[in-house]
Amino acid sequence: MAADLAGGGGGGAAVADPDGPDGVRMTWNAWPRSKVEASKCVIPVAACIAPIRASPSLLVLPYAPLRCKPPCAAVLNPFSRVDFAAKIWICPICFSRNHFPPHYAAISETNVPGELYPQCTTVEYAPPPLDASAAAAAAVPAPIFLFVLDTCLIEEELGFVKSAMRRALGLLPDHALVGLVTFGTQVHLHELGFSDLSKIYVFRGTKEISKEQILDQLGLSSAGIRPGAAGAPGYPKAGPQANGLHPSGSVNRFLLPASDCEYTLNALLDELQTDQWPVEAGNRARRCTGVALSVAAGLLGACMPGTGARIIALVGGPCTEGPGMIVSKDLSEPVRSHKDLDKDAAPHFHKAVKFYDNLAKQLVNQGHVLDLFASALDQVGVAEMKVAVERTGGLVVLAESFGHPVFKDSFKQIFEDGEQSLGLSFNGTLEINCSKDIKIQGVIGPCTSLEKKGALCADTVVGQGNTTSWRMCGLDRSTCLTVFFDISPSERSSQPGIPNPQLYIQFLTNYQNPEGQMRLRVTTITRRWVDGSANTEELVEGFDQETAAVVLARYISLKMEMEEEFDATRWLDRSLIRLCSRFGDYRKDDPASFTLHPNFSIFPQFMFNLRRSQFVQVFNNSPDETAYFRMLLNRESITNSVVMIQPSLLSYSFNSPPAPALLDVASISADRILLLDAYFSVVIFHGMTIAQWRNMGYQNQPEHQAFAQLLQAPQDDAQMIIRDRFPVPRLVICDQHGSQARFLLAKLNPSATYNSAHEVAPGSDVIFTDDVSLQVFCEHLQRLAVQS
Amino acid sequence: MGAPPSSQPFISPPPSSQPFMGPPSSRPFGGPPSSQPFGGPPSSQPFAGPRASQPFSVPPASQPFTGPLASQPFAGPPAAQPLSGLPASSQPFSGLPASQPFSGVPASQPFSGLPAPQPFSGVPASQPFSGLPASRPFSGLPASQPFSGLPASQPYMAPPTPFPGPPTSSSPFGTPSWQSPAQQGMPPMPGTTQAPPRMFGMPPHTPGQTMAPVPPVMGHSPLAGHQVSTQSKIDPNQIPRPVSSTSVPLFETRQGNQANIPPPATSDFIVKDNGNCSPRLMRCTMNQIPCTGDLLSTSSMPLALMVQPFALPHPSEEPIQVVDFGESGPLRCSRCKGYMNPFMRFVDQGRQFVCNLCGFTNETPRDYYCNLGPDGRRRDADERPELCRGTVEFVATKEYMVRDPMPAVFFFVIDVSMNAIQTGATAAACTAINQALADLPEGPRTMVGIATFDSSIHFYNLKRASQQPLMLIVPDIQDVYTPLHTDLIVPLTECRQNLEQLLDGIPNMFENNRVAESAFGAAIKAAFLAMKPTGGKLLVFQSVLPSVGIGSLFSREAEGRTNVSSGDKEAHKLLQPGDKTLKTMAIEFAEYQVCVDIFLTTQTFVDIASISVVPRTTGGQVYYYYPFSVLSDPAKLYNDLRWNISRPQGFEAVMRIRCSQGLQVQEYSGNFCKRIPTDIDLPAIDCDKTIMVTFKHDDKFQEGSECAFQCALLYTTVYGQRRIRIINLSLPCTSMLSNLFRSADLDSQFTCFLKQAANGIPASPLSQVREQITNLCINILCSYRKFCATVSSSGQLILPEALKLLPLYTLALVKSIGLRNDGRLDDRSYWVSRSASLSIPMAFPLVYPRMISIHDLASKEDDGSLLSATIPLSSEHINDDGIYLLENGEDGLIYVGNMVNPDTVQRIFGVSSVDGIPTQLVLQHFDNDLSKKLNDVVDETRRQRCSYLRLRLCRKGDPSGLFFLSYMVEDKIPGGLSYVEFLVQVHRQIQTKMA
Repeated sequence: MAADLAGGGGGGAAVADPDGPDGVRMTWNAWPRSKVEASKCVIPVAACIAPIRASPSLLVLPYAPLRCKPPCAAVLNPFSRVDFAAKIWICPICFSRNHFPPHYAAISETNVPGELYPQCTTVEYAPPPLDASAAAAAAVPAPIFLFVLDTCLIEEELGFVKSAMRRALGLLPDHALVGLVTFGTQVHLHELGFSDLSKIYVFRGTKEISKEQILDQLGLSSAGIRPGAAGAPGYPKAGPQANGLHPSGSVNRFLLPASDCEYTLNALLDELQTDQWPVEAGNRARRCTGVALSVAAGLLGACMPGTGARIIALVGGPCTEGPGMIVSKDLSEPVRSHKDLDKDAAPHFHKAVKFYDNLAKQLVNQGHVLDLFASALDQVGVAEMKVAVERTGGLVVLAESFGHPVFKDSFKQIFEDGEQSLGLSFNGTLEINCSKDIKIQGVIGPCTSLEKKGALCADTVVGQGNTTSWRMCGLDRSTCLTVFFDISPSERSSQPGIPNPQLYIQFLTNYQNPEGQMRLRVTTITRRWVDGSANTEELVEGFDQETAAVVLARYISLKMEMEEEFDATRWLDRSLIRLCSRFGDYRKDDPASFTLHPNFSIFPQFMFNLRRSQFVQVFNNSPDETAYFRMLLNRESITNSVVMIQPSLLSYSFNSPPAPALLDVASISADRILLLDAYFSVVIFHGMTIAQWRNMGYQNQPEHQAFAQLLQAPQDDAQMIIRDRFPVPRLVICDQHGSQARFLLAKLNPSATYNSAHEVAPGSDVIFTDDVSLQVFCEHLQRLAVQS
Repeated sequence: MGAPPSSQPFISPPPSSQPFMGPPSSRPFGGPPSSQPFGGPPSSQPFAGPRASQPFSVPPASQPFTGPLASQPFAGPPAAQPLSGLPASSQPFSGLPASQPFSGVPASQPFSGLPAPQPFSGVPASQPFSGLPASRPFSGLPASQPFSGLPASQPYMAPPTPFPGPPTSSSPFGTPSWQSPAQQGMPPMPGTTQAPPRMFGMPPHTPGQTMAPVPPVMGHSPLAGHQVSTQSKIDPNQIPRPVSSTSVPLFETRQGNQANIPPPATSDFIVKDNGNCSPRLMRCTMNQIPCTGDLLSTSSMPLALMVQPFALPHPSEEPIQVVDFGESGPLRCSRCKGYMNPFMRFVDQGRQFVCNLCGFTNETPRDYYCNLGPDGRRRDADERPELCRGTVEFVATKEYMVRDPMPAVFFFVIDVSMNAIQTGATAAACTAINQALADLPEGPRTMVGIATFDSSIHFYNLKRASQQPLMLIVPDIQDVYTPLHTDLIVPLTECRQNLEQLLDGIPNMFENNRVAESAFGAAIKAAFLAMKPTGGKLLVFQSVLPSVGIGSLFSREAEGRTNVSSGDKEAHKLLQPGDKTLKTMAIEFAEYQVCVDIFLTTQTFVDIASISVVPRTTGGQVYYYYPFSVLSDPAKLYNDLRWNISRPQGFEAVMRIRCSQGLQVQEYSGNFCKRIPTDIDLPAIDCDKTIMVTFKHDDKFQEGSECAFQCALLYTTVYGQRRIRIINLSLPCTSMLSNLFRSADLDSQFTCFLKQAANGIPASPLSQVREQITNLCINILCSYRKFCATVSSSGQLILPEALKLLPLYTLALVKSIGLRNDGRLDDRSYWVSRSASLSIPMAFPLVYPRMISIHDLASKEDDGSLLSATIPLSSEHINDDGIYLLENGEDGLIYVGNMVNPDTVQRIFGVSSVDGIPTQLVLQHFDNDLSKKLNDVVDETRRQRCSYLRLRLCRKGDPSGLFFLSYMVEDKIPGGLSYVEFLVQVHRQIQTKMA
């Protein structure tokens, strides 16, 4: 039945398809056997997994998985040894023997179920509901989209948001439930299911309110009796407690199917005004983002458990009021910078983070997602809200304006169907099972630890740890998690010869797909142990330098956030030097003799660029931007993340096809067009000559069609990049020596600076910086690596 | 002390010194019944025999007249006869015939000395008000035109226009005057300029008397005359009772530089302000001020002012003049800040003036300077209202404003909880508001807002052109806030249509509301927050006990019931506010000039004791509709609301009373908020509100000097002008106790007692309050007896003429709803709350309602007033074949006997039998004389009381009939004395004290 499955390398190192059919990439594809060896490897042993990556070859099995006996509970997989005669399978992870249940009776060498096909290391189970009545009851719950809209905006921006909202409403599936919260100085929760007149629940922006209070005040609490009403003797007890006019305390007053409320919502949007509370001169608008999100989260708390819901927050400025406030109303107080955070001079930061942390806990508990669309020239508090977005697996987009394509197109993308669809899914849980001797330190990425401790948990924790199970309230096809492992062989297994040379890891991802069905995706991988310290060959062979660079970037970002006074550059340099000392090929104290295996060859360059990147050099950015970059770094695939660290540069010229160019200032040339993909921005850079020709309009002349094509080619390629990416990158089109050229120059290796001794080639460029160039960096590296 | 009365008996013939005379003093009341006129077979036993009726009527003034006339040597007859040419024989008692001859003429009799027999009949034409008569404040049917044109046609605050008084047509104010009217405002004969202050019953013609500047004579009330002699009996028909009159005398506040004694507050009169204010605006408990505090305490009488600064004037009166001093603002004494008034004395050729309040000599500002005439008055005194009028209004300058004058803001808050919806209260409130919108002051400064509430608060954004209103719900009722910065309160002109539509829609919108809880406290707090920037009037329609949110209450009624029955001493605590939250809120409201009026349309206990704190503190009032009936109450609700918003009123007011050195203000009492000792803050003040101010001595006055009182009320008109209303009253000082008694003002004193009782009810057990009130009465009478009527035999009960009705009203007060044991908590609390701000004319009907018979209306003489023939509140006067209307200013009870002629029933009620009359009475118009007259009577009463009577049918033999009979305060009831018994008791106690 799975015969027509496309084949693919089962467990080999990713070569052709970088992520392989399993969507799993590891820093080391051959694992050191001992703790000591592992620490000598410098780069942590980690796996990056894309739990629900779209894969054309995915096998979907319409029945429930077969599980090993607890506590292992691993799912039957191609690595299980099967005794067809005895109808027994042996779990590769715990080596338990399990009998096949009766309905597997027909199993034989020639008739194996899909999950045992060797190439089907990743399968998905879509078990039917247990019985018919349950099926009826569990009718696919409609996804909920609760929009939380900032109204402390200028008219123009509000106009942009409104049109974006209208477009989004048009794209929503009819059955999706929609709700609307608007906020400014106060929070307005719109009751959509009330026809007589527009009805709004108003919450004050200054006061933190608990979920219980919100439910109570909305008449949605199950308790049904308000405090204070209790025990009034002789007074008729309130019947069903409901606020307003609906006798039933149903949340459906606020959340209506898109098809039912589209008209109402559009009318509401038409009437929606900017916040009417006065803003005193010299003050910021009073904006209570925190309470608005509390209210939204509280409202969703009244939904049936297990309902997938997203809070889509459209925020146009910093929260200045109530919980979650990041800056005071007084304009003379600037929004906190990295420097302030460093010096602990951001008075609101920790309080706000704590607030959003609690909000994150609530949302995770409810299984709901917070998406953040921040569009403002100034910061809006992404740094503080990061925790709530990341823990719930929410999406985040940071733009300058609601009118900017970065926002508009990204926002549209999340509602789009088909090819472009992000495949937004809900209620994911990830469980990891692995061979003994392997412990799990934790996960970096958009998820939350479920604190399900077990034997597999390592003592040291990285990111979301202390568990073998994680919640991903929201996840999509590109969601990527980084799992850090610890190698801690027990006494017995460290004895050579006895144990299995292979290690096994199984990832089980339960989630609700965009259609609302519950799925279980099972990915089982195996890697080889490498025994002994002598055997560096095998380790080197199994090294994945891209993954290593990304894992290191994620790891160091985390460390920078968690550890005070952490010197990232120094830490990176020392790691790189250690790595090169360990795996380089050189004679001691002879820098010239230093060479690296091809598997390591570009790693130093990655490190060079990582040192210069926004992830490490945070002072060039606002805390909001840094938080934004890191959130995306943590959730994107390796390929995308590599681009974030080391942008790709393509060169277009008359005489050659488009070709990758060195990320070096030397690549600039007057007669070239460069296309830089720095992930967050895509820059088309016209050399001076090209720009002049273009300005003269040659491309419009029939005899210069080639020039027109040359101009067009990078545009097309840029569009291709942009189309597939979420969030939509910022497209910058600039000319050499133009002001926007800085977007390119900042990313290039400053091989030629204003004080460089080299003659600069005509038409090329220099970068005004004191940064070291890659060459100097490498020279130092060689020298230090070979030091005894 | 005053001249011994003994010397006067003869001099002051008729009314005054007429003690009731008991038998020889040796036989007080204690004796066997037979010998005791009072103690005897009470009600059934009239006082003296045939002519015994005269004892009260006082023929022989001086006669401490013993019961049977015959036995009296000096007995009245001879004395009376010569003098009283017209001894109103038909009304032996009421007329006090003896007195009439002297004091002039009974009302009905034109008085030769007067300019015109009908003093003011001619005047109206020249008066600005003459146009008004047509308008009738309360017409029967709400829909048609109740309160018609009045306020609308006559914008109250427009500068020159004074308050539109109630129409003049007939006698606007029912006058339970108990003396022949001639005594009152009779202007003295032209020649007798030096006439002493007039006293009741003072015979001007008696030679020595008239001349005496301060006559030592005092008026005794004739109430006396019970004695041991067995044949003497008290005739219940002869004991003092209020009498109504129909004439409308002219009252000049001062004459010959002397203050005149004002006519009874309940009577109809026309005031000519010539230095002192109209007694309607300010009235003192005594018209002469005791020189010392000792004298005051000897008299046992209270010294207090009743200030009703916006009291409706008689339509024929001159409007209050507005004076604009320009930028400098009104001229004031530089020491005490008292305002310029007619009693400031200009000296040194007018270059200086001496303040009549503090005595400081001020320089006259240059531009105010004016020469003095030969009489020592400024030559321009008559041109300047502030120098010749007791009441003027100054235009306030910037100095008197902390901000621009506030707009007229009306915010309506409506209960939409399940109960309110189901009883129809919400619909009634919405309809009432909708109709009343037309009566809000016109203009762009009139702002309105609306909110509804159950367990959450719903605001409405009305400022949405061409769109339906937006409902904004504030769900946090523990810690409320306003949901919008603007647009909750919108100029009426911009939102009228929206508002009307919304009001129409609210009952339907909440039709299926199942929320039984009511967040009253939170709702008013939230509305307050919306009004905070401006202040204004908050009108709340509440139907159930506030059960949730801030200031929520719990039902204390059940607890109360058990406590009362078990005689718990703490029972009165249930009449105190349940918690302090509402009080705290109310103080904050007052600070921001928000006045709260509460309309309680309820069928259950709502804890008025707690709720009423808010209106009391903010200058508002409680309206109580219990048990709310959707059939009969909406009309009253509408009319009350309409009058509330359209009556003369002012906003953001501050009031201070200043008085001459020698006295100081002791306490203010009424509906206001007091933050500093000297001033009271009135977020709103209207024509129905009265403030009582008590005084105490801190120094002595010189005999012959005058003591001045000045009330300064700074306020904003509904049209946004800032004004200072100055009300002046200057009264002579005396060191004679007898003068005090003669110039005592029963109306003010009784109202003072009422308010004291009301203040006492929540503080002490009922029995104690009743005792206190009775003692107040006894002490006064005792003081009089002891110091002013010593000559009389101790067997006589001697009442000062001016206070002869005090026992009756005291008895009525003791039996009133507030002081009765059997009342509901809420009824009592409402009574207390109502009393707090009650005006003098309304205080009387509250305790001594007016009863008239209506079955015979058609046959009565149509002599101008249908209300004149009042019946004493005694069940003796109620016949089984009669129909009676009893009204107390608020409710009208129609009592139908069980043997009424079916034809009468048919004509009045449109049904053939008594049993067929619906209990929820809505008076209808039928095409017959009787029905017309009844409707006229009811309408007239409504107009008079400025209150839409809530009619209720009482049938004999029904609980409702018993309820009606509980108003018969002269009857003996279980635990309560009859009037006659009460008199006996009073007498006995006086005797005890004297002994």
